[in-house]
Amino acid sequence: MALLEVEDLATYFHTREGTVRAVDGVSFSIDRGETLGIVGESGSGKSVTCYSLMRLIPEPPGRIERGVARFDGQDLLKMGKSDLRNIRGDRISMIFQDPMTSLNPYLRISTQLIEAQTTHRDIDRKAALFKAIKALEEVGIPDASNRVKSYPHEFSGGMRQRVMIAMALINEPDLLIADEPTTALDVTVQAQILDIIKQRQERLGTAVILVTHDLGVVAGNCDKVNVMYAGQIVESGSAEQVFYEAKHAYTRSLQKTIPSLQEKGQELYTIPGLPPDLTKPINGCAFYPRCPFPKTGAAETGRPALKDLGNGHCFADCGYCDSSGSIESVLAKGDTDDIHLPSEGAGA
Amino acid sequence: MSDHRDDFLVLEDVKTHFDLGRDFLTRKSKGVVKAVDGISLTIKEGETLGLVGESGCGKSTLSRTIMQLIRPTSGKIWLEGKELSAISDRDIRDVRKNFQMIFQDPYASLNPRMTVLDTLSEAIRTRHPESKGDDLLQRVSDLLRKVGLNPAQMKRYPHEFSGGQRQRVAIARALAPEPKLIIADEPVSALDVSIQSQILNLLKRLKSEMGLTMIFISHDLSVVRYISDRIAVMYLGRITELGDAETIVDNPLHIYTKALTSAIPVPDPNAEHSRERVILQGDQPSPIDPPSGCNFWPRSPVEHDADMKENVPDFVEVSPGHWVSNCRFCVEQNAATPN
Repeated sequence: MALLEVEDLATYFHTREGTVRAVDGVSFSIDRGETLGIVGESGSGKSVTCYSLMRLIPEPPGRIERGVARFDGQDLLKMGKSDLRNIRGDRISMIFQDPMTSLNPYLRISTQLIEAQTTHRDIDRKAALFKAIKALEEVGIPDASNRVKSYPHEFSGGMRQRVMIAMALINEPDLLIADEPTTALDVTVQAQILDIIKQRQERLGTAVILVTHDLGVVAGNCDKVNVMYAGQIVESGSAEQVFYEAKHAYTRSLQKTIPSLQEKGQELYTIPGLPPDLTKPINGCAFYPRCPFPKTGAAETGRPALKDLGNGHCFADCGYCDSSGSIESVLAKGDTDDIHLPSEGAGA
Repeated sequence: MSDHRDDFLVLEDVKTHFDLGRDFLTRKSKGVVKAVDGISLTIKEGETLGLVGESGCGKSTLSRTIMQLIRPTSGKIWLEGKELSAISDRDIRDVRKNFQMIFQDPYASLNPRMTVLDTLSEAIRTRHPESKGDDLLQRVSDLLRKVGLNPAQMKRYPHEFSGGQRQRVAIARALAPEPKLIIADEPVSALDVSIQSQILNLLKRLKSEMGLTMIFISHDLSVVRYISDRIAVMYLGRITELGDAETIVDNPLHIYTKALTSAIPVPDPNAEHSRERVILQGDQPSPIDPPSGCNFWPRSPVEHDADMKENVPDFVEVSPGHWVSNCRFCVEQNAATPN
């Protein structure tokens, strides 16, 4: 049985401007020791998915509308507050994008690392401090026995993120959710942090959900990948499948936009337009208005369901994405105007 | 060096230091931030120079120094043979319309209380003070069309635009005074990948259409490689390596450049699993009292000797146009012998 099975998760935000369907029917599963990457642009629902699993969605305006998230047999979405508190930080922990706002600036690192342990374990403070120092050493903080007494502001961004990782892993959780853990960091530090997460994961057998917008980070670190667009998964599969045999037009377009994969001097491929407004109901494929493939009369009602290709590779099939034509051939035909103005207003 | 002064933009040993003042009680100096610490550069007309480096390496201070928003502590800057660093604060505004800047965050760099029309008109009037009425409207429309926005949207406020569109407005504003030099400071790092490529294409197109010279600052080497003719790699206020974009990315000499290129995640699982990484130790040291000598020694995987920790390595041209800070521990010596 998978460690975590999510089925048909939907989280909406009921705002004055209307109901934002941030996550609208997401299903996936993750096994022990596995790394699942969730990629997508901002607003695609990747972070809301994770926050929903941890039940960190501010309610109101947010609400988990439906779905099941079975973690080791228990449904995270229906769990009571105290059960939830027992699981958070113990069996499931989370790393956030900005390590400055997720550490308490008033408390020493030692206090925060000890608290993480005494809340969940029957452990005396001395032993907890000893473990804290060891945890800091394991994430590569030099002079850990002295540095443990520092306050968060005395650390650099990369060091703070290491402290976050040490804290998240100190109780040896079964599942680590990392929401853009390296987005705020420099590339050289990013490489160090991803390296540490990987090492610790191998030692502890933790399952990791890695949320990022960077396809490169996913390629190097994930076993499985979910590509999200407008609140739904549009493609999922092993890293190899998603990168080498991508089926969905969005995944393929996304790969085409990355500068490092392109010939210099050539114009970069751009996805025209903007992601859809999630307050309005989406009929048919959400990517339809931006899709490079010509199509006539795509599904009008409901969004296309995930089609399983039999080997764990799924994609939201509207019937047009899988056309054998490559993006290149489509591009060669029509001059893609890189500027598509949204005709009416512009969602921020 | 003097003949170089005829080039488009010349920097000669520019240093920008920030004095942190004295401690209130002990009167001891709190130190000096050496944000830019001796940079010499020449930029040709119509060229795009990419400036890469980690945060805190001085990229932005350097760009603000060129803009004369911060005056250099020492060193000289010439733009088209005119010495910028000698122009008085009052006269610099007149000159500044020749060089404009695009900032990272289009949410913060546009005045939220001014419509696009107001923002752009103000910028246009710096070049054409007499422009008003229909002529001004025409100029604003032309600019908006140029950056791919609908002129019908000119009465809107910045919050009515998406991030990518706002960045287009910011670009239009930078173009309004008809500058010759554009400094783009991380113009795409706040944007999503699909929007990022739109802006990169736009910048590239405008540059070739209008014959602009551009300094493109980013921490993302793959973006810089795509848009730049040459790349300068900065570390702790100095340039460690300078050369053609391809040379820097594909054949870096300095170990820091190697680490930087190898740290960029490639969206290709097989390549990611098989490639060699130079993983650096720790973070970039503080620019307050930075390490002496080859300033990279505290993080280098190769141990430096006392000499290189003491003396600043020479900046040598190893092959035509390819310069490197020639520390014999950071640069493989057989590769770096001038030929």
